[in-house]
Amino acid sequence: MRAHYLVQPNCWVALRLPSDTLKVLLMVPNTIVSLGKYGTFASNDILQRPYHLTYELLDRQEGHKDSGLRIVPASEIHEDTIAEEDAASSPKSDEAIIGGDGVEYELVGEDGEVIMRSNRETIDDSARQTLTMDQIETLKREGTGAGKHLIAKLMLSHTALDQKTSFSLAKYKLLKTKKYLRRFTVLPLDVPLLLNWYLSEKDPGKIMEMRDEMMGLTGSWANVHFSQSLPDAEGGRWLVVDETGGLLVAAMAERMGILYPSEEQLQSSSGNAHHREDAPLATSNTLTMVHNNAQPNLSLLKYFLFDPATTTQPCPDHPLNSHLQAISWLQLVSPEKDTFYSTSVEQLSPEELEAFKPGKRGTYYRKLRRWQRTTSIVDTALAGGFSGIVVASSMDPTSIIRHTIPLLRGGANISIYSPTIEPLVMLVDNYSTSRRTAFITSPPDSFTSLETDQERDNWKGDEDFPLNPTLILNASVQTARVRSWQVLPGRTHPVMTGKGGAEGYLFTGVRVVPARGKVEARGKFGKKRKADEIAANGRSDMKKGKLEGEAEELAATPAATDNGDDVVDVRMASPTL
Amino acid sequence: MAFQASPFLHPGTVSQTDRLAIVHLKRDLQLPTILRDHDEDNEGYAEGKVVNTRFGSFPHTTLIDLPWGSQVRASKVDTGSRGRRVKKRKRAGSAENSGPTKKVAKVDSEEAPIVDIAAEEAGTATPNTPAVKEETEAVAAASGFIHLLPPTPENWTSSLPHRTQVVYTPDYSYILHRIRARPGTNIIEAGAGSGSFTHASARSVFSGYANDQGVDGSPPKKQKLGKVWSFEFHEQRHEKLQKEIKDHGLEGLVQITHRDVCEDGFLVAGASPGADAVFLDLPAPWLALPNLSRSKPPPKHNGGRSKEATPTVPEDASSDTTKPWISPLNPSAPVHICTFSPCIEQVQRTVSAMRRLGWVDIEMVELSQKRFEIRRDRIGIDHSAQLGVQVSPANVDEAISRLLDVEDTFKSFHETGEKTELKKRDRPNPNNRAKILESLVGRKVYKEGNLAHRSEPEVKTHTSYLVFAVLPEEWTAKDEEEAKLRWEVKAREDSEKPKEVIGMSKRQIKRTAREAHKLKAAAKTASMPGDETREHAEGVNDNTLKGKGGVPEEACGSIKQELT
Repeated sequence: MRAHYLVQPNCWVALRLPSDTLKVLLMVPNTIVSLGKYGTFASNDILQRPYHLTYELLDRQEGHKDSGLRIVPASEIHEDTIAEEDAASSPKSDEAIIGGDGVEYELVGEDGEVIMRSNRETIDDSARQTLTMDQIETLKREGTGAGKHLIAKLMLSHTALDQKTSFSLAKYKLLKTKKYLRRFTVLPLDVPLLLNWYLSEKDPGKIMEMRDEMMGLTGSWANVHFSQSLPDAEGGRWLVVDETGGLLVAAMAERMGILYPSEEQLQSSSGNAHHREDAPLATSNTLTMVHNNAQPNLSLLKYFLFDPATTTQPCPDHPLNSHLQAISWLQLVSPEKDTFYSTSVEQLSPEELEAFKPGKRGTYYRKLRRWQRTTSIVDTALAGGFSGIVVASSMDPTSIIRHTIPLLRGGANISIYSPTIEPLVMLVDNYSTSRRTAFITSPPDSFTSLETDQERDNWKGDEDFPLNPTLILNASVQTARVRSWQVLPGRTHPVMTGKGGAEGYLFTGVRVVPARGKVEARGKFGKKRKADEIAANGRSDMKKGKLEGEAEELAATPAATDNGDDVVDVRMASPTL
Repeated sequence: MAFQASPFLHPGTVSQTDRLAIVHLKRDLQLPTILRDHDEDNEGYAEGKVVNTRFGSFPHTTLIDLPWGSQVRASKVDTGSRGRRVKKRKRAGSAENSGPTKKVAKVDSEEAPIVDIAAEEAGTATPNTPAVKEETEAVAAASGFIHLLPPTPENWTSSLPHRTQVVYTPDYSYILHRIRARPGTNIIEAGAGSGSFTHASARSVFSGYANDQGVDGSPPKKQKLGKVWSFEFHEQRHEKLQKEIKDHGLEGLVQITHRDVCEDGFLVAGASPGADAVFLDLPAPWLALPNLSRSKPPPKHNGGRSKEATPTVPEDASSDTTKPWISPLNPSAPVHICTFSPCIEQVQRTVSAMRRLGWVDIEMVELSQKRFEIRRDRIGIDHSAQLGVQVSPANVDEAISRLLDVEDTFKSFHETGEKTELKKRDRPNPNNRAKILESLVGRKVYKEGNLAHRSEPEVKTHTSYLVFAVLPEEWTAKDEEEAKLRWEVKAREDSEKPKEVIGMSKRQIKRTAREAHKLKAAAKTASMPGDETREHAEGVNDNTLKGKGGVPEEACGSIKQELT
């Protein structure tokens, strides 16, 4: 764990610049890091230092190309805001202090008596800066104090500074701070950071526009956690369908404690990777990833030093090597058609091997290992018994469920993320109360002709019932969204702008094992029934229409729709109304 | 105590005796229950311990050793005579003569949903029931069923006995994601309340069971074991949670302390929990924050502008200095915190306190969640008053044809004086059982209409504001000195040939190349003899930069250009 807390050489880190943009870099020792216009510094200056520290690029020394660094203490980061707060709490003070979580300014001075103005007098004109471009350039080049002096000069040279309200002044300062302040913060590259970087700066589409809150929700509802087998208790194995380039796998692996290599595992990266035996596949606490191409797309895992595509892996002992098992849809659904799986590599005798040239022998061993790994992964996956499934895919969720539901054990949690709600709405409709009622009342012949439970679980559905509606309980769809706020003295409000795009939705459900034979539900009812109906149909008859617990509850109290079921269908299914 | 894995973390494949299971009745109605193979409270049922619900009675013997997720039929349980023997019951009259042979004993809803009530009732009122009875086999009832589910923090959260406001799944899943609660993390939770966050965080930080329970959280050699350090200042809540944790097999994983953390801090038995993450669900988190410092906090804020350059807080002579102050935080890790407060004023005070105590990256968010109702909207006038159908024209054609119908009726009435309309009573009721089943099976009404979604009628519009912040590791001048020695920086002279530079954007790379080209050209025109080495160096630089195409370039995306 400790490895995670100091900046490690040859690991990925993120640098946050004053403009709130992130720079994600591989921290190679003995190199120069460029922050663009902000300057350059030596990578060695931040290696083996803690994360979350903010540094300031010092003024370059005479003749030196790069800047040294200074750690900016937290007290200095917040100094302005604290000062502003203090000023507000003691109104006697005639200091006008401009706050805003940035830098402190020695700007207050001569006639700081104006505390609050309205914006009536403000002239909406940008040409109020008296410094010319050339002057600014000169200041930038010669500027000292990590840009603070330049910002102070800029503000003092603004002719309408005294007309600004304290709010617009704070805004102006923040604007200039973002542009000129030469500071950066070192952040560890973990799943939340990678997610936000892709969402805001890289390519939101690549990660299916998945936000933090949806990622957290997806993992929670799938009940993904560290779960190693114990002598007397079976561990957990999860299925994952990931079309986010490996982000979902990374997030689940993070929850299971298999994403970050330990310090020893990192150390061994320098060792020779060629003669290493493949780590034996783990049997619990594993992720089985089903992918739709010949190779899984896990490109984002390189930020966690896992790159199965390359021959020289950055971290050969990475826990994902044994805990992440990739299998293609073809291998899962019809393994006999997959060449890798079906072409067995025959075991050669030592004499035959002896006869090979070393190169050929190496190829043989590689082939053998790959085949052994593939068969082992495929056979384990086909044996089923998974503790849950997590999906973020552009494929139709109905088809994913159809092929994976037989592999889930009873009580397994299902969570499916989709950027848009429509595919999930269609999926839920397969589990609507009325459809389930119809299924139980008169199951299709193709289903009833199946004998064993296992065959029934594998039933591929028909036109009316694309999925067996009795295998998933509590099918529902939800979403969550955070809204960020600015908290500053006297200026607390939600932030003004945000990102649009896909809302993001989550389907959740539990795999259940329906009882064989006809099961009838029960509930209390009667209020709604008319006396003559009772006489006509008889009490026991009335009960037969009820097939689901949910149904009766709603039938009894049609107004109680707060459990999110399809009220209309329910009423239809219940004869009491 | 025999070691047993927690059913939350290792549910296994089948339900087991003395372990927690969730009896799922319907959406949002689930009963947590600990399965017993015998009735230790002696409630007087012939079948041993029984769960009574509005959907029937379920003896525990029918629930044990079942695969998780199984649908279980209700059993015929004689609830009536037991009740009569024990206590006069409200509904005794109606259930009086129902022997065990009666089809299904009716269960009234007041007694049904909460098992505890039944247990307590029986526990207090059964002094003279026969001691141990032969437990009879359960017989399946004609109707009623439940599903038996393994416990998860999610279904526990929706079924737990409420003691305080509950931290719901959307909130805790986001919080745990943000405060980096991962396997191996030590997390402090203050204000355990109903325990929903306790269970969720225990799942997040779990990285193995501690068989030797060290108080200081010091991990065994191989792997750092995560632990939840929970604090609750309300005594009854603390006791209840303690019992729950024990019943749920989370004892080694969750350490609950009865304590007011604002006053007495976060040390457990004098030792530091070594927390990497903190969650505060307290009425006044700013009072607890000073106890979460890396060094001894001042007794009170002086309110002035402090000008210290170091993050350490100055010692104050007036405070109690007899004992050395121990920080409850992990000294070699950044600490992530989240506070959970419903009011904006609490947030403002909390954030203000955080700023003064050296927390950085302070951010406040609120989280809203929506669940959706998904159903088919069926609209049309030809559905003959079926329930669930909005009887209005589905389209203009339907509207016109109905208008024409009315027109005809009107005409015929005026011409012949006949009323063609049927009396309401004569129309067949479209909503009896046969009709509905026919419409379901025959007409497949579940495929009719437009599939639509809307948010559920009850929406939680505000739970609480979440304040997040990070306290970086303390980094002293001495540490910096050591790091400097280890990672020596060789200053790059202005004239020196360029080394590898990382983190440049494509634009910058191009510009550097252009400038280099210009320089080269200038050098050529001047035809200085000693310039070849320089040219060469620049060529190399160019190549290395191009070769680093894989390095992401992002920083300067938003910054158009330097002011030139």
